[in-house]
Amino acid sequence: MMKKNNQDRQWRSFREFAESGNNAHVEPSEFSDESFLKEHFPGAIESAGDFVSRRSFLSLMSASLALAGLAGCRRPVEKIIPYVIPPEEVIPGVPQYYATTMPFGLQSFGLIVETHEGRPTKIEGNKDHPSTRGLADPFILASILELYDPDRSQKVMNNGSVSDWSDFDSYWKIIFDTHLADRGKGLAVIGSSFNSPTLHHLRRRFLDTFPEAHWIAYEPISDENILRGVEAATGEPQLPEYSFDRARIILSLDCDFLGSETGAIKNAANFARSRYPDIESNAMNRLYCVEGNHSITGAMADHRLALPPSKVEIFLLMLIDGLKRLDLSLPAKIPSADITIEFDRKFVEVLAADLFANKNHALICAGKTQPPTVHALVCLLNSLLNPENELVRYNRLPYALIPDTVAFNSLMTQIKAGHISTLIMLDTNLAYCAPADIDFAQAVAGVRNKIHFGTYYDETAALSNWHLPAAHYLESWGDAVSIDGVRSVAQPLIAPLYGGRSVVEIAAQLAAGQPENGYEIVRRTWRGIIEDSFEFNWRKVLHDGFYSESTPNVARPDFTPLGKYLAAEPFSSAPDIRHGLELTFIQSPSTYDGRYANLSWLQELPDPVTKITWDNPARIGAALARNLDLRDGDMIAVNNQGAVLELPIIVTPGIADGVIVIELGYGRTAVGRVGNGVGFNTFRLRRSQDPYFVNGVAVAKTGGRYKLVCTQEHHSMKGRPLIRQADLAYFRSHPEFASEMVEHPPLKSLWKEPELTGDYQWGMVIDLNSCIGCGACTIACQSENNIPVVGKEGVARGREMHWIRVDRYFSGSADSPDMLFMPVPCQHCENAPCEQVCPVQATVHDHEGLNAMVYNRCVGTRYCSNNCPYKVRRFNFFNYTKSMPETLKMLQNPDVTVRSRGVMEKCTYCIQRINRAKISAKIENRRVSDGEILTACQQACPTNAITFGDISDSASRVSKMKSDPRNYELLAELNNRPRTSYLARIKNPNPALVDNHDTIPLQRQDERKSS
Amino acid sequence: MAQIFPRWTNKIPLIAALFILFFALTAIAFVWYFGSPRYTDVGYRPQQPIEFSHKLHAGDLGMDCRYCHYNIERSPTANLPPTSVCMNCHGIIGANSEKLIPLRDSWKNNSAIPWVRVHKTPDYAYFNHAVHLSAGIGCQSCHGRIDRMERVMQSQPLSMSWCLACHRNPDPQRRPADKITDMNWKPTVFPNEKLTSESEPKKVNPPTDCTGCHR
Repeated sequence: MMKKNNQDRQWRSFREFAESGNNAHVEPSEFSDESFLKEHFPGAIESAGDFVSRRSFLSLMSASLALAGLAGCRRPVEKIIPYVIPPEEVIPGVPQYYATTMPFGLQSFGLIVETHEGRPTKIEGNKDHPSTRGLADPFILASILELYDPDRSQKVMNNGSVSDWSDFDSYWKIIFDTHLADRGKGLAVIGSSFNSPTLHHLRRRFLDTFPEAHWIAYEPISDENILRGVEAATGEPQLPEYSFDRARIILSLDCDFLGSETGAIKNAANFARSRYPDIESNAMNRLYCVEGNHSITGAMADHRLALPPSKVEIFLLMLIDGLKRLDLSLPAKIPSADITIEFDRKFVEVLAADLFANKNHALICAGKTQPPTVHALVCLLNSLLNPENELVRYNRLPYALIPDTVAFNSLMTQIKAGHISTLIMLDTNLAYCAPADIDFAQAVAGVRNKIHFGTYYDETAALSNWHLPAAHYLESWGDAVSIDGVRSVAQPLIAPLYGGRSVVEIAAQLAAGQPENGYEIVRRTWRGIIEDSFEFNWRKVLHDGFYSESTPNVARPDFTPLGKYLAAEPFSSAPDIRHGLELTFIQSPSTYDGRYANLSWLQELPDPVTKITWDNPARIGAALARNLDLRDGDMIAVNNQGAVLELPIIVTPGIADGVIVIELGYGRTAVGRVGNGVGFNTFRLRRSQDPYFVNGVAVAKTGGRYKLVCTQEHHSMKGRPLIRQADLAYFRSHPEFASEMVEHPPLKSLWKEPELTGDYQWGMVIDLNSCIGCGACTIACQSENNIPVVGKEGVARGREMHWIRVDRYFSGSADSPDMLFMPVPCQHCENAPCEQVCPVQATVHDHEGLNAMVYNRCVGTRYCSNNCPYKVRRFNFFNYTKSMPETLKMLQNPDVTVRSRGVMEKCTYCIQRINRAKISAKIENRRVSDGEILTACQQACPTNAITFGDISDSASRVSKMKSDPRNYELLAELNNRPRTSYLARIKNPNPALVDNHDTIPLQRQDERKSS
Repeated sequence: MAQIFPRWTNKIPLIAALFILFFALTAIAFVWYFGSPRYTDVGYRPQQPIEFSHKLHAGDLGMDCRYCHYNIERSPTANLPPTSVCMNCHGIIGANSEKLIPLRDSWKNNSAIPWVRVHKTPDYAYFNHAVHLSAGIGCQSCHGRIDRMERVMQSQPLSMSWCLACHRNPDPQRRPADKITDMNWKPTVFPNEKLTSESEPKKVNPPTDCTGCHR
């Protein structure tokens, strides 16, 4: 209801006017060839369709303008459109929340989606679902943008021309019958991996129908190595799940478990829980990190060793040697590491001792880029280090289709040999992401029937005979099993916007020949899952988002196969000593493997480490940059066994020497208006033998320059103790170190201080000890508060609009620096400097301590932004939402004003959520309870680093956090009295590995060094 | 030398100044009054797709407002009745009335009736019906004597100063919870009459900060 529907249609531009039905063809085409011809050679193109002369166009326009001017004096007529029959449970104006599930490879995430009168506007984690526990990551939060993406594929395409579903249905029936006759010979499906009961059944049914057909999964980035490693150790592919909340000593072997690994949300929440720096107890964990790239997990490490990924295996063998010397008895024969690598041996010794001393609380995890051998050994070590306290759970994947590179390669060989006549590519973009040496486009050229099913008309669609548009997961019925074994149903929140079909529907059609309704298919599967009173439990599953009877498929690991595996000596302990550099591929925190390349929110989200937006430069360490004489933005040519790619570099301190980190997922050519041509297609450097890291790469400086756009440069707060950090030992002896770090004279205000007499006093605490810099807060805020994107050029001019940014600082030496993160939203200063300088009182204080921004008063002087010491105010240089496609307008949160050009904006502490809670408290005649209001950033934060609440209530969580000795305010010496405060970061280094200087807080060290 | 201008011309600047002042003041007063919502918006009385009479339904028949606007106590927006609510009665009453052809068309074709909005706050002002009702603000305070209107018109300016006047001193407009929709209730009775069954009237504390309504 209440939809705007101006009958006396208003128009804002000639274009909009011209595009209306009645006034078609009036748009001037003055500068087109056609009009030129017409004017100069009348009669040359008589039959060119309705053509309105310039003169008649102008007269029409002037009349319309005059009318529009008159109409402007009246108030616009607005319509209210009530329902004819109101849907049950919908109260117009009151948002509704539905549970659903987002499938993501082998993982899936339980979600709650907010909808306003039938249109989903915001995704949140499902509190009760073990996969998210109410938290989220940037991909989850931004996937709602994909739902409305106007560039999504909207039509069935047949050999490049528009077709429809019924054509495809009859086409597939013919193919289906043909293959029924030959038992599926020459029929193959390459899909993405899944972990879904329904898809599992449908794939089975497909293979039963066509016994000689293939249905395999290929993923450019996957857990295949982990699964193979665990399979080698236990005889079955199982996915390890780590209990970081109970671990005291953690060793990460090239494992970005807080960022890019499977289960990162849960890992981050658990990790933060065991990292709370308690003064009394000894509970704070200690993280050792061995990695080539500088990841966000590396940033959290107490001890970090930069080591090329290829050397991690040797490191592990050396560690096993160290543990053996400490009398850890290993059942299997494991060779000693006979190759010494150049690094501090003391590190291994101390680490081994620390792991051994903390038996039952020590955890080792290895990254998905590491070879299976490493994972097999890690399995063994974890079981030996934790004989009683099982910190690792191994989950069976009974409903999963595991990505299989071997099967993929052999299928590609068959395709090249011409044995495959029908190839179906399900939700996968192989033309873009298959290894370069396979040359996918060339390989499938000879396949007669190529069918592509996907979200975009992408690179693969372009070389297929048929392209079928996929429905978004928020438009489809489906189901999934999370990695910890919880089965859940994905229910649609909206009917398909662009006429796509769901994966389940396509899979059923492949298996049965006929299209079928997704709802029926999923229900049929679930009749087999729900044991009794189906209707009741089915409704409960839809309501809760998951099946509570789900028993995790925990496997009891038995490591007998490991001995046999190790006896075969699978070690690559004589690594490639080919000279040259090492290339390591990482997934993009913005586009994953390229699938999210058209999501502008993610493209504009600064990389957590480099703070680069809209690009994927190669990252190199400081030493390599010195050796090759490279600086940020210099172009290099990377040559990996003949495959050459030119791309720019960015120097990232902390990357292992001799390693070039290459981010995948950019350089798309056929994804949409946002993602096309952004960055560099680094898949061209990837080869099938060594997909994650490769040695012996040649690099040459080309001399070219490239414009990289980075958000950190224009948010520098140099030389001041902004992030305050100390070691645990120092913190114990000086609990108040953070607030004592800055000395200042007594603070007196020049201004009349605001009256803070409200019923509530809002405040926020951000725990820097928990923040992992992932950027979920930024995307959550963008989604909640209708924040526009400005594009690469806009960011280059410093015009990005994020209300909460995460600042990243490096400290220490350039070769082994510390990386620190600090989320900075508006600090809601009580003595706000912005308020003093606004000439029109557009930013004022309210009685509850909020620094309010009144858009309608703002005249855009930008004095406030100039006077803000935190640089958190954002200015609308353009009317960013004006040219927004209709579908994207459906994404806007109706509870937040959409800002126009010339208006300043900034974090409001989610005032719409505060008001919603206050209003319902008022109606119920009570106070707002603690925890009732969650700001969008707080809600999404996977480590719960952000706490918001009423600071006038001494029992509230935020008040308790504010009384933590680590509490300090950013730039408190300016007497701004910010309402947002920070908890200092504490490190827990091993005393055996630190020099005495580490007992002094971070900034003091810097002072000492500089003085 | 004879004077070129007669003596009275000395007064021209003064007269001119007076005229200018007069016109300026007139212009200001003109804009002040005719540009204000009190003039531009009050009395807005658009033609509706169906000549629905509130006077008949709410006045003569005495139907409660909430029979049709049934979400006002739960939602920020006061809902307009869906066609199905109208058809509860008009399936039988006036089943052949010519006036109700658009209603029956809507019911038959499953197409909504495009009512014209009368009361409107700007998009950047977030008004919430539910909380006003719970604070004891009657329909009449903002919408006037709806029960006497054949065709609904705006009776209050709905401007910010008008909102704030009440937010600064809400008590004269408050009434007991069971009199919210009562058009004949006299606001002068308060505060002698108890707002609720409880002995203490509920404290409402309406916001006067910008953040109360603007998000």
